[in-house]
Amino acid sequence: MTELITPALHQIRSGTRRHFFQSSGLGLGAMALQSMLAKDGFAASNPTANPLIPKQPMIAPRAKRVIYLHMAGSPSQLELFDDKPELKKLHMQDAPASFLEGKRFAFIRGVPKILAGQFEFARHGQSGQVVSELLPNLAKVIDQVCVIRTVTTDQFNHAPSQLFTHTGSPRLGGASIGSWVTYGLGSVNQDLPGFVVLLSGGKTPDAGKSLWGSGFLPSVYQGVQCRTTGDPVLYLGDPPGMDRDLRRRMLDTLAEMNQAEFQRSGDAETITRIAQYELACRMQVSVPEVMDISQEPQHVLDLYGAKPGFVSQAESADDPRQLYKGDDPTFANNCLLARRLIENGVRYVQLYDWGWDHHGSSLGESIDETLPIKCQQTDRAIAGLITDLKQRGLLDETLIVWGGEFGRTPMMQNNVRSELKKGYIGRDHHPFAFTMWMAGGGIKGGLAYGQTDEFGYYPVENKVSIRDLQATILHVLGLDPYQFHYTYQGLDQRLVGPTEEGRVLKDILA
Amino acid sequence: MKFFNRLFLLLMPAFTQTAANAAEPVHFARDVLPVLSANCFACHGPDEHERQGELRLDVQADAKKFRKDQAAIVPGQPDQSLIIARMTSTDPDLVMPPPKSRKKVTPEQIDAIRRWIAEGAKWERHWSFEPVVKPAGSIDAIVVNALKKRGLALRPAASPQSLARRLSLDLIGLPPTPEMADKFAESFSPETYKQYVDQLLKSPQFGEHWARMWLDLARYADTKGYEKDLGRSMWPYRDWVVEALNADMPLDQFTAEQLAGDLLPNATQQQIIATAFHRNTMANDEGGTDDEEFRVAAVKDRVDTTIQVWMGLTMGCAKCHSHKYDPISNDDYYRFYAIFNQTEDADRYDDAPRLEVLTTQQKSQREELQGRVAELEIDLAVAERKAETFGKTKWFLWTPIQVTEAKSTNGATLTPDPDQAILVSGKSEVDDVYSLTILLNAGTYTALRLEAIPAKFADGRLGVGRNPADPNFVVSEIVVEQVDADSVRALKLKNARSDFSQDGWPVAAAIDGDTKTGWAVSPRSRERHVAFFDFAEPLKLDAETKLRITLTQAYGNRLTLANFRLSTSAADPTSLILPPDSPECRALRDELAATKKSLSDINVEIAMVPVMRELPTDKKRVTKIHKRGNFLDQGDPVQVALLTGFGPAKPDESLSRLSVAKWLVNQENPLTPRVWANRIWARLFGIGIVETEEDFGALGAAPSNPELLDLLAAEYRDGGWSLKRLLKTIVLSDTYRQSSEISASLQELDPRNAISSRGGRFRLGAEVVRDQALAVAGLLSSKVGGPSVMPPQPAGLWRSTYNGKTWVDAEGEDRFRRSLYTYLKRTTPYPSLTMFDAGSGEVCQIRRIRTNTPLQALVTLNDPVYLEAAAALAKRMVNQSDDADARVTYGLRLALIRPLYQGETEPLVRLQREVKSKFAESPEQAAAIIKSCRGNPGEMNSAEFASWIVTANAILNLDEFLTRK
Repeated sequence: MTELITPALHQIRSGTRRHFFQSSGLGLGAMALQSMLAKDGFAASNPTANPLIPKQPMIAPRAKRVIYLHMAGSPSQLELFDDKPELKKLHMQDAPASFLEGKRFAFIRGVPKILAGQFEFARHGQSGQVVSELLPNLAKVIDQVCVIRTVTTDQFNHAPSQLFTHTGSPRLGGASIGSWVTYGLGSVNQDLPGFVVLLSGGKTPDAGKSLWGSGFLPSVYQGVQCRTTGDPVLYLGDPPGMDRDLRRRMLDTLAEMNQAEFQRSGDAETITRIAQYELACRMQVSVPEVMDISQEPQHVLDLYGAKPGFVSQAESADDPRQLYKGDDPTFANNCLLARRLIENGVRYVQLYDWGWDHHGSSLGESIDETLPIKCQQTDRAIAGLITDLKQRGLLDETLIVWGGEFGRTPMMQNNVRSELKKGYIGRDHHPFAFTMWMAGGGIKGGLAYGQTDEFGYYPVENKVSIRDLQATILHVLGLDPYQFHYTYQGLDQRLVGPTEEGRVLKDILA
Repeated sequence: MKFFNRLFLLLMPAFTQTAANAAEPVHFARDVLPVLSANCFACHGPDEHERQGELRLDVQADAKKFRKDQAAIVPGQPDQSLIIARMTSTDPDLVMPPPKSRKKVTPEQIDAIRRWIAEGAKWERHWSFEPVVKPAGSIDAIVVNALKKRGLALRPAASPQSLARRLSLDLIGLPPTPEMADKFAESFSPETYKQYVDQLLKSPQFGEHWARMWLDLARYADTKGYEKDLGRSMWPYRDWVVEALNADMPLDQFTAEQLAGDLLPNATQQQIIATAFHRNTMANDEGGTDDEEFRVAAVKDRVDTTIQVWMGLTMGCAKCHSHKYDPISNDDYYRFYAIFNQTEDADRYDDAPRLEVLTTQQKSQREELQGRVAELEIDLAVAERKAETFGKTKWFLWTPIQVTEAKSTNGATLTPDPDQAILVSGKSEVDDVYSLTILLNAGTYTALRLEAIPAKFADGRLGVGRNPADPNFVVSEIVVEQVDADSVRALKLKNARSDFSQDGWPVAAAIDGDTKTGWAVSPRSRERHVAFFDFAEPLKLDAETKLRITLTQAYGNRLTLANFRLSTSAADPTSLILPPDSPECRALRDELAATKKSLSDINVEIAMVPVMRELPTDKKRVTKIHKRGNFLDQGDPVQVALLTGFGPAKPDESLSRLSVAKWLVNQENPLTPRVWANRIWARLFGIGIVETEEDFGALGAAPSNPELLDLLAAEYRDGGWSLKRLLKTIVLSDTYRQSSEISASLQELDPRNAISSRGGRFRLGAEVVRDQALAVAGLLSSKVGGPSVMPPQPAGLWRSTYNGKTWVDAEGEDRFRRSLYTYLKRTTPYPSLTMFDAGSGEVCQIRRIRTNTPLQALVTLNDPVYLEAAAALAKRMVNQSDDADARVTYGLRLALIRPLYQGETEPLVRLQREVKSKFAESPEQAAAIIKSCRGNPGEMNSAEFASWIVTANAILNLDEFLTRK
């Protein structure tokens, strides 16, 4: 009887066999093993595959890797990118009924007042793009950046919206876009994880680890959080007193005994385990090395505003909002790390910076006082990242994405106070139109894409959905967003969802 | 017809290639249906919205129906059958499946369809929907038969010690001791084997081990999920599962109690706890979320989980459209959903409805404290009365006022008693105004006194206010007016003072003219209180005069006086003294406060388990179809029904969750016993007979041995749904006992052990990996049940937004509890367990896909749990003997159980020797490693002890140790 290979079965087999014979990144010990096994005629009968070896893209790629900068909490587009003089005219007047009818807000109650943009805008670069005074460094490299002012989402709470943006589903259980990309393309450097996550701002984003979870994809594709305090990867460091030589001797003994077990049992999983211990041992060296930004020359550190070894107080604070300082370099350090990681072959680097939820309802979360601090923490670092990648010739092959999970309302949030008070000026969640930007590989720099109405409330031209963005990211990386799928629970699961609504934004491609 | 001729020529090569297999008849369900469902049903299947060309290939009549002289399938006539023509067409516009669908049918598959049509196109249902028919023969006979077809036979049995370890790890998730294994080997016989199995099945650790499998399915976790991911008390449910499994509760009862324990007649507390199964759904506490959205999401999760767990089918797709592959329509989904859509829970912050679950100790403690509080309140009232009577308060200076008329604006009844106190009873509105008319005799009056006197509630407790939940009062304003025949004159009060006032609610606020402020007495609201007010001008009356006193109590929440008395005085106001705090009163008050604190501490600790509760009949929800799954866009109302695709199920208003439970374990239901038997087999062999444990539908894998599956399913169903009995049947078989060694030829013929050609060899589950290390080190606690614990994890992992709870590494016994008891926070699960593929409990996890990654190596090498285990194992080894080889032998045997091979200790003995000499040169390193592993060298020199820790660390990382074989 010929066994029928259903799609589900095929997937399981390719996804769960984790043997590393064909890996290009094997150490000497494992190579020796491999030849030993070949002699036994074993390897020949074991067609095996490393799930993370680089794979051919499905279509011609425009970029090879991604650095995604997520500003968790959602920055205000009306203070950063979308200049609306009309709001100034109507400042502190009641919002028109059309803003409110049939709408549900997270915190706004009753009839809120219109809030003018709190900062000034000017045109920059050859492209003449409009950028806020809060982002003076980004303004200098704006010709590299495609600003999309008409992104919309259909979620207006943080956790579901973050999940929707990163996994294509507002509920838990989906696979993160970084997992999708690593599943589709593998990773270049086998000594480092293929999908790395870096956090700043003192807290995990609202939706937690699920944002970089592999969901229904095999768990090898989940994001590995690299930390800047403690072990950069959990359990990476040997205990005090265990030096490299001791560890090496111990692993050699372990390998010897495991080989003997393999001779007895004949189970290829044992060989995989030996290889994984070797890989772990190499990661113990390679990860701290790549994570050590103190190796960077001073001018590069300055370019980002990075400070090696800095431990932010916000990291251990009960409420980091009270501690935001403009010169906190945690995010800058992460941007520099992102460059080092992609330079070393990591496929997808995801940064989350917490602290952008500027409701104005309590101290340390306002548009007028906190937003400038958050901009100060990130502006130089982001511009530095673009400049650095450009100088190294990496910008053309690296896609950079910046944004939050939604935008902020043109109205002032009024649930706590309805008058203007310093340190308490805020805006509520706004899913209907907000700004994200992309730069680098495959993206038309200097383009201003999409227009919102005079209040910045709705898109009036070139509306862009989250699905469109996801489709575009996959397309740029050479993954056909409609063909690229994984069969799970009877459905061909795709990042862009079950319908064909997501479209590749051809207009913004270089 | 010209078209067909052309086709036939093209087909020739393919046809001759596979003609060799033609001897064996084609099975529709096995060979044809999976091809059709994978390639055709998306457009020619159950989903009416996607259907193309009005053709269904999932329904026999439709597939064989002639339209314009043609039919997709013409029995006996493959060349007349359109399906063959279209599948073999070279025209991109005609070929099926169409190129843009990405689907492709192989020549072998087309050949199978062709032969099936030629053989008469006999139709069958999808294999898993056909009734379970118990085949003849035993497990071994059926497996041997299947192996024989491939020229294989059962492998010889594994060694007795290996079997001792295998059985123990499989049945209780813990290793035996080498002594137990040796004893088992010495007296090895079919009888002692059976005894060993029985002993394991009876062990309380059995339930702890198998509960883990069930809790994955039940999406159990200790937190609510989403942004805040706050804690909730689900652990009594986890303990219920452990107990149910230990008691071998039959599956039908196990099902009924969890799905509908609350609907059982005279439901016990345990049966209601069981319903927490479906309260494991997540809840979103993020600000501004729509509770209805997340309530609906939870109900849908219950529907999906139920069908997935019991029937192995995916319902998810039918939320938005009819299932493309399996017979579950969009209507079916919402009719079934309607049954689950009638429970009270609604994504509320407090997770209501909840059930209070007290431990026996908590129960007696709480009763004792409650009794003590009641006693103290009465003692205090007596003591205060005594202090006033015999103290210096000069009670004789006051004259209680006789009230001529007492009225409440909100309908309460005011009754004066012989002591002139006025007891308030009857109607109790949120606020009230008491209006009292009095007649004062001629004379001079200097002050007015208001006494708030505790009254008894129905439960026997005291309180000065009328709300039993908060027996405080707020006197917003007290106004005294002189009512003459033709005028009403307000009499001003001043110099308010009282024995006690609540923070922010001073007695002066009762005469400030503002009803938003007032006098209140929390937290001392079960004691008597007194307030004095002086008349601004002494009241001089020449004759009897009518006064009106108005007590406005406008706060709300029923904070109104329960019992009070008004008095006047003629004395000099400075001589009027408030009741003092006698030492006795103070002592009683302190004790009362302390007792109340203990009581509230207990109340905080008491587990409040979210449970299922049906809405009352008059509050039932109307269920409508959610268009494309969107709960905001609802269509027509639906009537409740079970899934119609699996047998006759008429809409019936009386259907409840209990009906669902009965239907799932109905003797006629072919899916439940197959799904369960397969699940158990997979745990013991590393792979299911149906590999896709989660999908028994058209897209799932076909069973590798259908007879074996049906045998097990029938045994389970007909054997009283006893899990222990099923397990015993399997582990007593020769198939189970086979050695797990893999030869090159076996690797070739059955690489994945899909046909059970050997014993299973696979990496242990996450929890067993950790528990085994702790057990071998002698650290594992045997404590069963109770709240979840926090063994060490790396600092700084819990960073959830707006969630104050912190992880504090446990010390003592809780550091070494079984992993089942580790606190599981959905957004930040215990990292070393997730690295070994444990889930987060966010959604139902049918099986864990085993991975083998470098991060796992880092866990067992460096996680403090394993380091402490290494130090403890080192201690056991050095305590065993003075001889290095004997120590290694002991350590290896503790870990591997089996007798050692010749020379097997040598590499470890060598390692220990080398490491020792290195540590001897660098004692600070030795000290550091001992310290980080919390080792205790005792008398032993540090370099030597540290070298044993490294050796033990190696043992705990052996592939064989991490593997069940």
